[in-house]
Amino acid sequence: MSISTLISSQNPDGGFPYRRGKSWTEPTVYATLALLAAGELPAARKGLDWIRAAQRPDGGFPPQIGIDESTWVTALVALFSPEEIGQPEHDRAIQWLLTVSGEESSSIYRVRQFLLGVPRNADQKDPGWPWMPGAASWVGPTSLAILALDRENVRKPDQRIRERVQAGRRFLLARMCGEGGWNHGSSRATGYESRPYPETTGMALAALRGVSSPKLDLALAAGKRFLQDCRSADARNWLTLGLLAHGQLPEGFCSNQPLDYRTLPETSLNLLVAGAAKGNNLFWS
Amino acid sequence: MTQISRREFLSATAATAVLAGCSRSVPMPPSHVSIVRAPAYDQTIYDTVRRILVEHRVDVRGRSVVLKPNLVEFEADSSINTHPLLVHAAFEAFTALGASSVRIAEGPGHRRNTYDLADAAGYFKIVPRFEDLFVDLNLDDVTRIHPERQFSRLRKLYLPNTVLGADLLVSLPKMKTHHWTGATLSMKNLFGVVPSGVYGWPKNPLHWAGIHECIADLHAAFPRQFAIVDGIVGMEGDGPIQGVPKRVGILVAGNDPVAVDATCCRIMQIEPLKIDYLRLARSVSSHLLETNIHQLGEKIETVTTPFDLAPGVAHFRMERG
Repeated sequence: MSISTLISSQNPDGGFPYRRGKSWTEPTVYATLALLAAGELPAARKGLDWIRAAQRPDGGFPPQIGIDESTWVTALVALFSPEEIGQPEHDRAIQWLLTVSGEESSSIYRVRQFLLGVPRNADQKDPGWPWMPGAASWVGPTSLAILALDRENVRKPDQRIRERVQAGRRFLLARMCGEGGWNHGSSRATGYESRPYPETTGMALAALRGVSSPKLDLALAAGKRFLQDCRSADARNWLTLGLLAHGQLPEGFCSNQPLDYRTLPETSLNLLVAGAAKGNNLFWS
Repeated sequence: MTQISRREFLSATAATAVLAGCSRSVPMPPSHVSIVRAPAYDQTIYDTVRRILVEHRVDVRGRSVVLKPNLVEFEADSSINTHPLLVHAAFEAFTALGASSVRIAEGPGHRRNTYDLADAAGYFKIVPRFEDLFVDLNLDDVTRIHPERQFSRLRKLYLPNTVLGADLLVSLPKMKTHHWTGATLSMKNLFGVVPSGVYGWPKNPLHWAGIHECIADLHAAFPRQFAIVDGIVGMEGDGPIQGVPKRVGILVAGNDPVAVDATCCRIMQIEPLKIDYLRLARSVSSHLLETNIHQLGEKIETVTTPFDLAPGVAHFRMERG
């Protein structure tokens, strides 16, 4: 999809739908990032206005205006620089991310488990991020929060941010599947080894940029394997970004396999990842 | 024959006492559940599904229908997803009955790329114009609802407009064991209508609010349902994802999902009275006890196929005797 087609998908309210219909935060963020990267400022400003209007009193963002809950999409909004989204809006989004963690790392949950005599799993030691407050941490929202906070820490170094990013990365390494790579975040279910997914493997690899760990080699190998047999545009986007983060993107990847880009986040992310491969990276500084 | 627990006995006795105290009798019509042999995923399935709908006198003339299969993983050849041929047969049958629209809709719990998943599961190949007919419920526009009966601690329930606006929601699950709930059938299949765009992948807030209670909430949220369970090849063992295929060769169908699921459990030799969500959801029109379910087609005894259960739910096994 070209930038002009992307612009034609913009709703009159300035936001973007997943495919068609009402505007949602996730497609609006990715599309607006792609518009900014392409220098399409009038359309990008409309997108940014829609996003600003969506911010909730707690500083977080809902998945769609009208939904009374701040969720994981706050991490996506936090990818914008303060100059783009506005300093107060940006700061409040970062603060929201710093206050949210998976329910399994809450004091109440830990005391309850202790009283019940349930030993704490190794993969519950470090806090990640949930899709929605009040639930457990998962690979997707944790990876996105790390990307946003790591970018913020480069912009404005902060001990609290650094510690959350490091803990989040330990969470990801602990949730890695035995064969390398990640699924939604359950590496063992009822005693059985779970299989990794391409898209979440790419997301986690991107979030682990700069990390060195023996486990990572296994994950990078899984990422390269997935890329060879890619059946999803979303997966290809994230795998490309993830391998790029480690300087491990093979030459000519997936070039012989045309894939359908069926949602606006997929097409927008594709434009952003293509830019990242050429050095114009909006995911890390 | 089902064994009745002490709690079942007491609640049945209490209900009888209440009814006996009324000045007039309260009719409690039984639910009708069909068990139909369907040995393979082949062209005969089209006629089988059509006959099921005729037998149940399903009237969808001028009504909108949403078909909700169970799509989980990118494995076309495994027993993990509802077979696309069954979904297409249902599409053709409801269309032939005069439905004003028939859509196919699903919101997978783990994988974000729903269209790619449906593609890999064979839906694009089997169902003509699939992309035009399909709605990704994870990303559909939503409305906050307040179910008539709420069992869970879920503070807010947002559901997709496509299913809320349907005159009939048709649950098309796979007959599978489940390592937490014992069995996943037409009622558990409704987890797929909960939008991940709001709740995430997986739909983990539902787990924290109580899986069984949330299944009962969803059952209450959709009073107009029909269920057709794909038991041609089901899944046993560590379902719903890591189990192994189990051939049963049947479809189980009806307009009372509680009765349909209870019947499937009996076929799988799982004790339905031990499944919390079935107990929660039963009501005067949703029947769990065998005496309140009128079986059509095959008898349970003739198609009984014991499913292996994961160790954590082995106690759900139906006791013999």
